[in-house]
Amino acid sequence: MTQPSPCSGDYDSKNLCTWCDGCGDYGVLGATKRALVELGLEPHQVLLCFDVGCHGNMSDKLLGYRFHGLHGRVISLASGAALANPDVPILAFGGDGACFSEGVGHLVHAIRSNYNMTFVLHNNANYGLTTGQASSLTPKGEKMNTAPQGSVEDTLNSMDFVFSLKPTFVARTFSGDIRQMTDVFKAAVNHRGFSYVDVLQACPTYNKFASHEYLLERVYDVQKEEHDISNFEKARALAVDTSERIATGVLYKNNESVPYIDRVEARKGVKTRLVDEVASVDITPLLKNFK
Amino acid sequence: MTRISLKIVGAQGQGVNSVGEMCAKGLKRSGYCVFGLREYMSVIKNGHSSYQLDISDKIIRSSQEKSDLVVCFNHHGIENNLCDLKEGGILLHQTPQWKFKEEDQKFIDENGISVLYLPTEDVLKKLQAKPVLGNVLITSVVWSLLGRSADELKELVREQFGHKPDLLELNFICIEEGTKFKNENASDVQLALPDSKDEWKDQLLITGSQAMGLGIIAAGCRAFFGYPMTPASPLLTFLADQQGTSKMLVKQAEDEITAAQMMVGAMHMGTRAATATSGGGYDLMTETISLCGMSETPAVFVLAQRSGSGTGLPTWSGQGDLLMAASAGHGEFPRLVMSVSNERDSFRLMMDAFNYAEEFQIPVTVLTEKHIAESLFTMPQHTFDSKYLTLERGRLITDKEGLDTLKSGDRYDPDLSYGISWRWLPGSYAPTYCAQSYEHTADGSFDESSQNAQAQMEKRMKKIEALRARVPEPRLEGTTDGAKGMDWMEESIDILLVSWGSNESVIQDLQCDSDLCKKRIAYLHYQYLWPLCIEEIQKLRGITKKMVLVECNAQGQLGMLIKQECGLEFDEKILKYDGRAFNYDELKRRLLPLLES
Repeated sequence: MTQPSPCSGDYDSKNLCTWCDGCGDYGVLGATKRALVELGLEPHQVLLCFDVGCHGNMSDKLLGYRFHGLHGRVISLASGAALANPDVPILAFGGDGACFSEGVGHLVHAIRSNYNMTFVLHNNANYGLTTGQASSLTPKGEKMNTAPQGSVEDTLNSMDFVFSLKPTFVARTFSGDIRQMTDVFKAAVNHRGFSYVDVLQACPTYNKFASHEYLLERVYDVQKEEHDISNFEKARALAVDTSERIATGVLYKNNESVPYIDRVEARKGVKTRLVDEVASVDITPLLKNFK
Repeated sequence: MTRISLKIVGAQGQGVNSVGEMCAKGLKRSGYCVFGLREYMSVIKNGHSSYQLDISDKIIRSSQEKSDLVVCFNHHGIENNLCDLKEGGILLHQTPQWKFKEEDQKFIDENGISVLYLPTEDVLKKLQAKPVLGNVLITSVVWSLLGRSADELKELVREQFGHKPDLLELNFICIEEGTKFKNENASDVQLALPDSKDEWKDQLLITGSQAMGLGIIAAGCRAFFGYPMTPASPLLTFLADQQGTSKMLVKQAEDEITAAQMMVGAMHMGTRAATATSGGGYDLMTETISLCGMSETPAVFVLAQRSGSGTGLPTWSGQGDLLMAASAGHGEFPRLVMSVSNERDSFRLMMDAFNYAEEFQIPVTVLTEKHIAESLFTMPQHTFDSKYLTLERGRLITDKEGLDTLKSGDRYDPDLSYGISWRWLPGSYAPTYCAQSYEHTADGSFDESSQNAQAQMEKRMKKIEALRARVPEPRLEGTTDGAKGMDWMEESIDILLVSWGSNESVIQDLQCDSDLCKKRIAYLHYQYLWPLCIEEIQKLRGITKKMVLVECNAQGQLGMLIKQECGLEFDEKILKYDGRAFNYDELKRRLLPLLES
């Protein structure tokens, strides 16, 4: 059966957005819908998984199959879904609080395991929905809720951390550049393996240190400066050093990437998906080992 | 009924399990029912461990307190386990020039214990055999003491080493040497096995974990996510080992939270997936259980119990996690808790677990215990026939016609009967919805209004009543009372034992004990523990003189649930909380005084 190609209205939800004026989530929402449409995916063909945080309020602001789960756990939830049905593209969305504090272990192992899914980090460098606490990505010394004298812990260099885990796809984009975000999301979905996408986004209410304007002045598109995305070390250096300019676009892509499910010996040569295989099984042949 | 018990003891890594398994297999094939109990410490080497085999020509499913034969790999065994011998028992050891302490010698003399020293090292040196062959040497001595022919043992060894002729030859020589040793040094010492019976020969020897693994495969589960934790680990290992045949995806996750979340993600997509852990890991999974309550995602959790709290007794057994399973996770939501009691349940209940999870769209917890998971049972092959299993997926829509009728708001429609709404899978050509951990409307949109919160809570809670109406009542078991058959259970019961889990096995064995037959003792076994059925127990209360709760925990947790649900109090409680399941003699000893009063 041929289905008509999707259009942007297909993903529209009846629910109104509830984010603050100027929130970066509006841009991410727009780019997500646009990327899915441009990929030719209809709402019923995707699964979008959301962590808990301001971004998670997106879960009913667009259509598509969605799962809005627990705080910090979205990567694990999405990876289980990705293994069960590899034909459904899976995008997981989470904030810097959820994915660099509460659930940082899941990020580490998802990169190692190279599950075939896309992870979009809503990076506004603070806990927004719980009213502006410092996350591990907040610059040290910023005065935040629960740290009125300024946070005293060192800031985690998220890109250095991610690159230390030998990722197969890393991109960074900016919530103010919907065209670039759209292209990055599309590249991430098309990558076979775990795609890590860092979206630098404004939080006009709680993030006074890296505002929309601040980011706008510093971001540049590496694709316009002849960057070789297969060069791991170069990509890492570009990603880590944000002292003057902030590199955005697809930073690194490993073309030899083998996703987890393709590495599992027991599943090699199996044509069906786990979701197709639910049936009562006669285990009599296995009983000979117990005689 | 004749029961023989032999206990092999030694340091972990010395070969206690190899000898135990070889004897178990040999005895079963010779025509005996065997129950094997492994006990070990939470270390890899040098901890004191044991493998006890109870053997009979009739069905047995429990251990005795004392053994007829104790086989000691090292001198710690002699010191620690001499007192495990029955009067007239045999101590077989291999410690050169061992001098018994005065009180041990006294025990030996007073109880007529035969002591046999097997000079294993000397024998192996003479045969130029490696130390590992000590296992077959010692097994052959045990085999002779049991009065069985060496040929039976050779047949077993041939199966294992047939492809290595040199090694096989050396094994045969060791068997002959062991047989010779017994005949020359202990011609008058013998264990009195009952006559063998053909019915046992073709049965299976299987642990609870293996049976559960087979049940999980048979139930159409296609993905299993785990994190190592005793006593759940053998299930993870077994399923991983079966992957070549089952093609199941078996994944060791980075922690229990991940294992639970991956399982939920896989279930949401529409496959069948499960996870297993013990108490501490289940603690970590509880937030995910609560999520499943709200998002109405089917989920299956196996909780293999050991003694807590904290790290507790990691390699021992217990039933202390019932209340946790019945209430784990924040908020109020429907769930199902069931418990296996033996290897038959371990196999068959898994299909039920997945069926309930999918039909009611709820988290299901299947309890087991170390005592079931790691014990060895003798069981007929037909127990594992898939004809006993029917796969049910409830209100899951996958066909085009069904999908065409759907609208997004069908997913959490609060008005459907029993609170169970339609479920369809990501990737299906149909209107989409949001599986939502926030309180939500019918299509998964946010809605914090009073009216919606109440309607959705009521929708979910209706499933509890639907479950209560569906789950089987506890099973009443009793022994035949001569000419009166089993009818007495409807008229008058002297003692009604009420329990769950592994206790069923030892209670069933005790029901054949002549010392207990003078009273009408019945047993009410709870397989489904939450929601709890109370009709049957309330009915029986009226005709029962003494109601006795039997549990392996300190509080009597099933008793607490029963009291909570119907106010019923027990007359007596027999509780045990030392990390060990009840053995035959201990439970009998604690039951006997209740018969007198």
